[in-house]
Amino acid sequence: MTKADEFMSSARRGLVRVAPLILFGLIWHIICTAGLVNKDFLPAPGAVAAALADLFKGGEITKNLTITLFRAAVGLVLGAACGIWIGVMMARSRHFREYVAPIVGGTYSLPKSALIPLFALWFGIGNVTAIAAVFLACLLPMIVNTYHGVVTTPKVLVWSAEALGTGERELWPRIFIRNALPDILTGLRMALGFSFVLAISAEMIASTNGIGKLIFMYGENGNYDYMFAAIACMVIVAFLADRALVILTKRLLAWHESAVTELETRRP
Amino acid sequence: MLDLVRPKIEIRGVSKTYASEHGPVLALRGTDLTVNEGEFVSIVGPSGCGKSTLLYVVGGFLAADGEVAVDGAPIKGPGTDRGIVFQEYALFPWLTVHDNIAFGLERQGLAASEREKIVSRLVGVIGLAGFEKRYPRELSGGMKQRVAIARTLARDPAILLLDEPFGALDAQTREIMQDELLRIWLETRKTVLMVTHDVTEAVYLSNRICVMSARPGQIIEEFTVSLDRGRSREELVVSEQFNSIRNRVWLSVRRQALAAGERNDES
Amino acid sequence: MNQLEVRTDGFAWRSAVSILLFIALWEIAARIHVAPAILLPPFSIVAAQLWHSTLDGTLAADLSLSLARAFCGLLLATAGGVVLGLLMARNRTIEWLVDPLVALGFPSPKIAFIPIFILWFGIESLSKILLVTFACIFPVIIGTYGAARAVSRQFIWSALSLGSNRFSVFLHVILPACFPRIFTTFRIVVPVGLITTFTAEMVAGGGGMGATLIYSQRFFESPTVFAYIVVMLAVGLVVDAVMRRFQSRFLRWAEG
Repeated sequence: MTKADEFMSSARRGLVRVAPLILFGLIWHIICTAGLVNKDFLPAPGAVAAALADLFKGGEITKNLTITLFRAAVGLVLGAACGIWIGVMMARSRHFREYVAPIVGGTYSLPKSALIPLFALWFGIGNVTAIAAVFLACLLPMIVNTYHGVVTTPKVLVWSAEALGTGERELWPRIFIRNALPDILTGLRMALGFSFVLAISAEMIASTNGIGKLIFMYGENGNYDYMFAAIACMVIVAFLADRALVILTKRLLAWHESAVTELETRRP
Repeated sequence: MLDLVRPKIEIRGVSKTYASEHGPVLALRGTDLTVNEGEFVSIVGPSGCGKSTLLYVVGGFLAADGEVAVDGAPIKGPGTDRGIVFQEYALFPWLTVHDNIAFGLERQGLAASEREKIVSRLVGVIGLAGFEKRYPRELSGGMKQRVAIARTLARDPAILLLDEPFGALDAQTREIMQDELLRIWLETRKTVLMVTHDVTEAVYLSNRICVMSARPGQIIEEFTVSLDRGRSREELVVSEQFNSIRNRVWLSVRRQALAAGERNDES
Repeated sequence: MNQLEVRTDGFAWRSAVSILLFIALWEIAARIHVAPAILLPPFSIVAAQLWHSTLDGTLAADLSLSLARAFCGLLLATAGGVVLGLLMARNRTIEWLVDPLVALGFPSPKIAFIPIFILWFGIESLSKILLVTFACIFPVIIGTYGAARAVSRQFIWSALSLGSNRFSVFLHVILPACFPRIFTTFRIVVPVGLITTFTAEMVAGGGGMGATLIYSQRFFESPTVFAYIVVMLAVGLVVDAVMRRFQSRFLRWAEG
């Protein structure tokens, strides 16, 4: 199969996967133009598209999206970095683990968005509240997954490395963390999802800007086509971010037997 | 008077292709095989030659080109006349030993008292009395395989299809299970078609051994085995008769394996 | 998720000590005014507020409302998700139709859809329940689909040769084989249901824990804020413990 053939067949496959969306879009359009639903409840796809274009032109979307993405990214990076560090420390040191594990286990059950009003109380309306919420939400999956990844390193790998002269200090980056990489990336994918959810929640509850706030405001003011447009935009951004992470993961884990897929075991 | 008896299983010209990520693969090419009633036939051959595939076709689980007939009639898919035992036991992990064995009987619609009779008899036959309430997770490999055999025997199929049944067991357990299987076969005289990679096992158990070529698989050679099964394992295994057959079969398989290796090097 | 059940002897002891230590520090820090009382009310005041809310029934009313909403939403998500997942595993057309929806829906922040649900279903319970369903259904579909596709063909073949028809295979093999994975997915999704309910209530009001929480914050009633967060934490812990018990009782047969 030449490169061109490969490209054509994957393009065709991509089209087949996307086709139902086009179908649903058509049905949406038909429902609206046939007047089956109140125009207010479901703006026509055309109206939503127009609203989206308008938002881009006017810059509202890009401005607010940047704010939301900024908050999500900062919280994610900080949360991931701390989470990985804590996970590694828990795997390295029994003492550390015994003190930290109950706290981590306990906060697992706490809905992090419940802390948003608390943070709003402490930090006011704005970036810090949102970033703090994202940070906490991303922390847990990173800790749990890093810990699991390190702790399940097969002993035979460690022993082989030691027998080949790997010193204690080098074992960590070379063996343990490499072995934990699939788990860490799985945790990162979860954290990515959380970062968006928490950023938007925080914006809807306690912020004056950001896409969450934008969506909420349009809803309150009755600009439903703009509301739908903003939501659609967010969905696409989240989808693309997730896709990007999946592709990055596949690249980084090319050596690993089980690749990350969202719908497992596709039919041949 | 000569009584011409139909073979129990007739396999004629069976070919099987399946799709893989590298394109279609021909697993079996025009395979022929006959199994008579009450025979114990083993299929041996190099890895990947398609022997398990042939077994699955006979079981009716895979569709294939060619003919497979049981008692003269072409098969139409899986059936209770052909029981199957897998290497990985395939015991339903959510059912106890008792319920696993009773599974086929429940599908049959037997009354509870009937089922109980059959299940307790079989539990006795496989020597696992007292383990009825255990789950597969709690059993050793050998015990799991016994339950798998009992489950299959519960429906009293005329034909037993065994797919490397003892491949997952350690050497000692394997020998014990082989003797068990032999005992059950000598008692019930079912028609057995077994796939194995262990030539010694094939010689020990079967009265006919078919050697399959490397992929695409075809039956290349057949060996008849007539050993005095009354002798103990220890005697048999060191006897000249046993070893001569074993060596011939083994060499035949080895020839096929080497041919496959050469082909792989070329491709 | 719960690999952290690194149980060593005296684990319960150590947790109790950690908690007590934490409460003690909290009380002391608040009393010596590390931060203004508005931001950090002492534990004792929070506990008093908690007691007060329990007595006058507000907590019970809020909690039962939120839990009822979450529960209904989860029920719908599980039922719908399992059915869709199984259908997708069986039928290529359904798989083709549902796949892009799941692919888009799974990574998107479902919270962003709150205003749509409010628009369509109002600010009372219906919109919250349906939002929870929407938020929780995707992982269930994915998990069920994965489980159904992963059922070993040897199970299916064994059942067929033991006399099962297609329906019996579905009922007696595929469903039980998928159950552990479905339950695990359910366990993961329950906190999502709770979070979504609380968040939706915080954003849209309409009663429940989240609504009261946000009102308290807006009026600077910090003891209530803290008290409700503690209750939410407790609810999360209890629910998780219940599910763990269920799992160890009924799913002992599943390996690992």
